[in-house]
Amino acid sequence: MDRYDFKIPIGPQHPALKEPESFLLTMHGEKISSMTVRLGYNHRGIEKACELQTYIQDMYLIERVCGICSHSHATCFIQAVEEIAGLQVPKRALYIRTLVAELERVHSHLLWLGVAGHEIGFDTLLMYSWRDREVVMDILAMLTGNRVNYSVNTIGGVRRDITAEHIPQILKAIDTLEERTKYYIQIATEETTIIKRLSGVGMLSYDDGVHLGAVGPTARASGIDRDVRRDDPYASYEDVKFAVITDKHCDVYGRAVVRVLELMESYKIIRQILANLPDGPIAVKAPRKIPAGEALSRYEAPRGEDVHYVKANGTDKPERVKVRAPTLANVQVVAHMLKDRYLADMPIVIAAIDPCFSCTDRLISVTDAGKGTKNTMTWPQLHSYSIEWHRKSGIDFSELNKKFKVPGN
Amino acid sequence: MINVFFNILIFPGLIFLSIFGLGAEYFDRKLCAKLQNRVGPPWFQPLADFIKLLAKENVIPNQADPTVFTLMPVLAFTATLTAFFYIPLWQTKALSSFNGDLIVVLYLLTIPTLTFFLGGWYARSVFSMIGAARSIIQLFAYEIPLFLAILAPAMMAGTLSLSEMTVFYGSHPWLVLLNLVDFVIALVALLGKLEKTPFDIPEAETEIVAGCLTEYSGRLLAFFRIAIDMEMVVGSSLLAAVFLPFGFNFGFAIGFILYLVKVLFVVALLSLARTIVARLRIDQMINFCWKIVAPAAFLMLVVDLVVKGLISR
Amino acid sequence: MSEEDNIKQQLIEKFAFLSDKIIVKRARRIFAEVPLANFPEVFDYAVKQLKFSILSALTGLDEGATLGFIYHIAQEKGIVLNLHTSAPKDNLVIKTVTKYFPAADAYERELVDLLGAKVEGLPPGNRYPLTDNWPAGQYPLRKDWNVEMLDKKEVNKNG
Repeated sequence: MDRYDFKIPIGPQHPALKEPESFLLTMHGEKISSMTVRLGYNHRGIEKACELQTYIQDMYLIERVCGICSHSHATCFIQAVEEIAGLQVPKRALYIRTLVAELERVHSHLLWLGVAGHEIGFDTLLMYSWRDREVVMDILAMLTGNRVNYSVNTIGGVRRDITAEHIPQILKAIDTLEERTKYYIQIATEETTIIKRLSGVGMLSYDDGVHLGAVGPTARASGIDRDVRRDDPYASYEDVKFAVITDKHCDVYGRAVVRVLELMESYKIIRQILANLPDGPIAVKAPRKIPAGEALSRYEAPRGEDVHYVKANGTDKPERVKVRAPTLANVQVVAHMLKDRYLADMPIVIAAIDPCFSCTDRLISVTDAGKGTKNTMTWPQLHSYSIEWHRKSGIDFSELNKKFKVPGN
Repeated sequence: MINVFFNILIFPGLIFLSIFGLGAEYFDRKLCAKLQNRVGPPWFQPLADFIKLLAKENVIPNQADPTVFTLMPVLAFTATLTAFFYIPLWQTKALSSFNGDLIVVLYLLTIPTLTFFLGGWYARSVFSMIGAARSIIQLFAYEIPLFLAILAPAMMAGTLSLSEMTVFYGSHPWLVLLNLVDFVIALVALLGKLEKTPFDIPEAETEIVAGCLTEYSGRLLAFFRIAIDMEMVVGSSLLAAVFLPFGFNFGFAIGFILYLVKVLFVVALLSLARTIVARLRIDQMINFCWKIVAPAAFLMLVVDLVVKGLISR
Repeated sequence: MSEEDNIKQQLIEKFAFLSDKIIVKRARRIFAEVPLANFPEVFDYAVKQLKFSILSALTGLDEGATLGFIYHIAQEKGIVLNLHTSAPKDNLVIKTVTKYFPAADAYERELVDLLGAKVEGLPPGNRYPLTDNWPAGQYPLRKDWNVEMLDKKEVNKNG
């Protein structure tokens, strides 16, 4: 560091980051000479909380690890629990899980496309791709009842079935999206300013990618041919045909190409699932207490490999739940990619791994040690605060609660 | 005397320019929204933003130089207003004119960028200092092409007075076609001057928050914001007067409407540009301006010289 | 013989003490119990010779008197080897695996912060995931820890 160097804090609060993380950049003019990452601003104590609650409660908690890949985490967790319990999940349930998983991938990749556009100052792309994302969000809402946090899983199967009326609607939406995706592929390959801003930026060679343990589209854009869906198949991925998209660009442009092409593969998978949907029950009955045992479950989330390890001790609560979100594996990669690059490339390089810091930071207690007790709310306090807040705006459940004897009132 | 005050303060001076600036901002935002398939703001949004900012607290950072910090928004505001008086709007005669007012207008339009630089630099925050450095680097990239692109038509007309230029092109309308390339160059330079995408590098929000304006708030920010709006109108009026010099002889009513249409046309071109491209990096912007735009402007200057020689023969 | 049994056989051939410690739970899942003293050589052999080149995760467990560490390493073809080792709570020293997997840095810091393990050879850096002013000696993922322990301390500190 010479005397012309200076430090720029990117985060914990910064327009380029949608979630609080801190990157401290040492700059030499417009160039980044080094960077340190500080994670952990988002810890919510989910792993500890999982040990204190029952499996079915944990499923809903795990779903809230991340808003975007909620189905990924929930499915990954539930697979491990089902493996320990030795449950034979009906085929139809597995197909529905796969369908929701691919719809989630579509929504996540479209979301990424918009964010990437925004990071390079191309807001039109953001507006367009997020408008199209509404199509898939509507489909998810129709299938599961929710736009995010679908809660379609349950131990031993899924909670909601697909009816015959749903299928043509999904197919129609997929047709629309496929047409739009083709348009984005055309934009990505023809628009000069996009190519100028993306190519050659955030280089990650094949060897570095393997060495640093990159996952997901970040790895595949460096030519690393890894996809858990194919290598370690789960749900019904063994029954569907799809290509694992890899790219040799090794830069942000490659990552964009991989993601838009993966969208096309997802449409293919969704069509196959709907064409071959088997009949039968959608869930088997699961025991409340899961026998002692351990299992490791892997899942290809939109951002990369998601890993859940569950250890059961024979009670209705797990002994240990470990979550390894894909972003944690990619953070090291970001530091490597940013070295000696321009400051202007920082947002898109960080965005290119599709970071999800709420996934990455999930542990630790509800109290914030930095702020002391003044800002800390206990659960009952928070509960009554929310009831009071809604009462002020004219929504009062207290009468109703008395009738149903809801605890805490 | 009252007439002069009326002209300076109300029409076509301060009040008109402010309102037109806010209107142009609305037009720009609404058009952009429509192009991006959004609803866009209601018509009073820019004014509401302005009033809201006026009501907010002024925060001056401890480490900032308070004099420079507070002076800069006012300077930006007055410089753009002054430049407006030398531009012919709906008649061939501007409010005030002399031979050489073209140079004055161009220099007055440089002042807002300098105020961004000084204001950002003296705010002493990393983000605003990087923004300041970037805006001054960018200034050197677009200023030369802009000067050359406006100098070429002036040379053709044989005058450095904007008012006399409109008179000249009024009598030689076909020569305007020759300036079309210069018009495009001037538009590109104006995008840089107004710091709009793809040249919004000094205020790239995903990198350096708001660049030079990061530390500004309240009234000072309001003045900067309205100065930028006014700069957009003045810059567009300049381009309209130089490159679209027709319709000056139809009297006030039609001339005035024509003027509004011309300015909004230029603003529309600017918003179109910012919806269809991504932001460039500062090095790419410099390369683009020096390797493509500036040589093109030089070439047009030579072409104009040759054509002028042929005509006068 | 399946690929999983093949790997099991290779491991047993190389390390005789693993003979009854390796279980193939299902296709692509091998669980092995390795003594702490022999762990580095087994890990080295698995990564370098058996091509387990992906570190999927690193789990820390509170097992009462000991802390367990499970290294989930995977092959390109999808087979996951879960190497379990444990260290007594009065001497919680494990060796870093960052020289094989630089990404293990974050996982090992998690063990340090949340379970109180001591990782030998971990490069200096910011702590993760707890805040910088987290009280010393509080390891949230230990079974004997609960939120009240932290709250009392915070209340005392802040008057």
